[in-house]
Amino acid sequence: MLNEADAQAITNKILALSKADSCIVSISGFENRHIRYAQNMATTNGAPGGMSISVESHFGKQSGSATGTDFDDKSLATLVEDSEATAQRAPENPEFMPPIGPQKYPTGTAFSATTQNTTSAQLAAAIQPVLQQAEAKNLQASGFLQIGTGFSSFATSKGLFVFDQSTDVLHTITARTPDGTGSGWAGTTLYDFSKLDALAMGGVAIDKAIRSQKPRKLPPGKYTVILEPSAVSDLVGMMMEEFDQRSADEGRNFATKKGGGSRLGENVFGKNVTITSDPNDPVVPGGIYSDDGLPANRTVWVDNGVLRNLQCGRYWAQKSGRAPVPSPNCLTMAGGTTSTADLIKQTKRGLLITRFWYIREVDPQTVLLTGLTRDGVFLIDSGEIVRPVCNFRFNESPVTMLNKVIAMGPSVRTYGEEITDTPISVPTLLVDEFTLSSVSDAV
Amino acid sequence: MGGCACATLLPSTLFLGMRNAAAVEAADKLDLTGKLHLADVALGLAKSGGASYADFRLCRYQTEYLEAKEHRLEESSIGLSAGFAVRVLLNGTWGYASSSLATEAEVTKAISSALEVARASQGLQLRKFVLEDVPVYQDRWDMPMKADPFLVPADEKINKLLAINEAALKAGANYATAAFAFVREEKFFASSRGSRIEQVRVRVMPETEVTVIDSGTGKFATRAGFAAPRGSGYDYILGYDFIGEATKAAEQAREKLAAKPVEPDDYDLVLDPTNLWLTIHESVGHPTELDRALGWEANFAGTTFCTPDKLGKLQYGSKLMNIVADRSQEGGLSTVGYDDDGVRSVGAEFPIIQDGLFVNYQMAIGQAQLIGKSMSNGCAFADSWGAFPIQRMPNVSLKPNPKTCSLDDLISGVRRGIYIMGNGSWSIDQQRHNFQFGGQLFYEIKNGKLGGMLRDVAYQGSTVEFWNSMDGIGDKSTYFLGGAPNCGKGQPEQTAPVSHGAVPARFRQVTVLNTGRKAAA
Repeated sequence: MLNEADAQAITNKILALSKADSCIVSISGFENRHIRYAQNMATTNGAPGGMSISVESHFGKQSGSATGTDFDDKSLATLVEDSEATAQRAPENPEFMPPIGPQKYPTGTAFSATTQNTTSAQLAAAIQPVLQQAEAKNLQASGFLQIGTGFSSFATSKGLFVFDQSTDVLHTITARTPDGTGSGWAGTTLYDFSKLDALAMGGVAIDKAIRSQKPRKLPPGKYTVILEPSAVSDLVGMMMEEFDQRSADEGRNFATKKGGGSRLGENVFGKNVTITSDPNDPVVPGGIYSDDGLPANRTVWVDNGVLRNLQCGRYWAQKSGRAPVPSPNCLTMAGGTTSTADLIKQTKRGLLITRFWYIREVDPQTVLLTGLTRDGVFLIDSGEIVRPVCNFRFNESPVTMLNKVIAMGPSVRTYGEEITDTPISVPTLLVDEFTLSSVSDAV
Repeated sequence: MGGCACATLLPSTLFLGMRNAAAVEAADKLDLTGKLHLADVALGLAKSGGASYADFRLCRYQTEYLEAKEHRLEESSIGLSAGFAVRVLLNGTWGYASSSLATEAEVTKAISSALEVARASQGLQLRKFVLEDVPVYQDRWDMPMKADPFLVPADEKINKLLAINEAALKAGANYATAAFAFVREEKFFASSRGSRIEQVRVRVMPETEVTVIDSGTGKFATRAGFAAPRGSGYDYILGYDFIGEATKAAEQAREKLAAKPVEPDDYDLVLDPTNLWLTIHESVGHPTELDRALGWEANFAGTTFCTPDKLGKLQYGSKLMNIVADRSQEGGLSTVGYDDDGVRSVGAEFPIIQDGLFVNYQMAIGQAQLIGKSMSNGCAFADSWGAFPIQRMPNVSLKPNPKTCSLDDLISGVRRGIYIMGNGSWSIDQQRHNFQFGGQLFYEIKNGKLGGMLRDVAYQGSTVEFWNSMDGIGDKSTYFLGGAPNCGKGQPEQTAPVSHGAVPARFRQVTVLNTGRKAAA
């Protein structure tokens, strides 16, 4: 791990060695600790770490990069040499954009010294009662608890240098009944280990495992559903990956306007949908810089249903006369005030869905996604949960879904199956006409 | 010394040739003598720290990535990622640590950290891990290869990518992307049992896609290339007709825009091996992983319907279904001499499904005894120098029909069906029952003849029912080796490269849905 001064010193060595017209130096590193457990016992536990350094060199509009993991002076010189040789072998890129100069960045807030100093013994102490709780209920607990500290720096030969550091905590737990007919899950990410309540998370997974036992099949079809935050995070997060200005303008995106251009400024979603990213969000703080070293300022992507921004690289921004819009480092979908219990109460007939699994895009034109429910699906009848039901495969577009949101709970930090690197906060959603296209026998 | 102690260890520099400067320098800085010394330091410290078993893996990954979009080179990057991991078994509890700095001081720190992790986790060790007696090897294994991609001039590779895009654009594509990724993986493994193994292999991963747009309707269609990633040299790239495929792909993508939408129903399917390899991966490869059956992946990749009580009893598929696991197949992404537990894997093929019957799991060390077997069958893999080896797939392939059978023979036996080529979207549940797969190209089959193109097709099924509905497979002349460079599993997640051989196969009455309808039901 490097501190800011060390990263800057190494960067300066590279910049001094560079013979290119311009160059970019990126350094990153991490130190993690984790305990993995299954069947109520530890399996693979570790403390991995590492660092890497990347140099991108430019000669005119030729560009190439080299990445390495050695930091001694000789290796750094060789890295510059390799980077420059790579650039000189490349043809000119007509879309090349020169590196940017100094920028004004927000102050990073995603770092916790508590997390950085957490020991493996503390991780084990957090897990021990979870396993005891599962044992006491005759359930099998499996999970993963990881803490990590990371740093990154980005510098250009135009005088830009930015350093960022962050910590993260990830805990997911699955509890299963020994007969394999019930399964429950809980999971989240944090940046501050002291805020982790592993035992409470274990309680949620255990409760769901018990309540989801011996599910019955319901026919596939369109259902009113209550999607818990993990499920929502995957659908919203995967949709956000399609928020791309260039492909929309080029006619190959859901945000393409019929006849040409993009749908920016249009009501693409329901009026109750607002999605933002803010590196200083208190719940999901994110990295302070983004693509090409641009500051990761607060961005409104969807404002009360109106599509306000699509990610836009510097070249396309210049070509289309816009300001660049860097991709988000964190995401928040604004929530409401209705509790999950109240969402259930207002559902005449529907399904409560814990989370999704193995989601893939089926049709990029409509952002149609397919995937499966997992770890607890419950039938709601006349405002009450009446019984567990078997898992379903869904085929649904989040763009369509976000036009059918009836009500929502508060936005909370969560962890999805597919969106794992971006801190995300989303509400529980009550959604009409969600398409469940077949039944799965999996538990 | 047990097992096959073949060749003596050779100096790594013999295999370096004219690589990028960093790769040459790294090899000079830490040669075999240096690696052996670091291993001795690590394993000695582990032993004195009380570990009953320890291993040390030092790896270097040389990479190159080139990507062209339309007429421009979008990215040209090279890399060298090197580091080591130590793994200790202390009183039946695992601990491991890693670092990108391969120095004696860092190795000492890592061993201390791995022992600390294991010590801290001992209170959670309900059952101690016990390892079988893996034979000891001192060996070197090199993947056979004709042309090392890292020795091919960059200009040649870049020009090829630009030519592929040019062909696609000339044939009517609005956009075209072509990329080559190359990896040279050097692994040095040393165990406290005495093994010292060096291995080198190379992966080449081409990726192409064309997009066509109908500005009038606002619709677009894509067609991804069929060239699979391989454990091969650059000769594989030279031998593949990328230009011909790019031309055809642009025409086919345009045809897709005007193709007839499929009517949802049950159809007989003939799956081309360019499609079927991924179905094999998801519905046979993953369900037969022992760690899933033991519940070790319950929190992430999932468990499996293939529980140990079904071993030797479950009729997984029809009698035509023979699935073999190997680490020897030429071009296989999982082809390697020894797995990352140090278990010899070359020549250790084993059947997973024999005449339709489920007969074997894939295993890593410490697992076999839990189902009454004696020894791992060499299926451990760690995706980087910093990762813990876990059970991962060898090459898992469908054996060809021993009797003569062509693609046309299969199609001629279908009254109403669909022929599917290439991979589209793919998804399967966490116990591997319910799946949905798309494709790149879909053709109607009517009365035994191939008809026009269809669009918006995806097929759904349940694994055992699906494989039991297979009533025809192609012979060896129809064999194709597909594969994926990035199969995900484990926590922290690791991505493994794996190949799957397949032949075209016919399946009766499979559910097909139309993915183009507002919400596919």
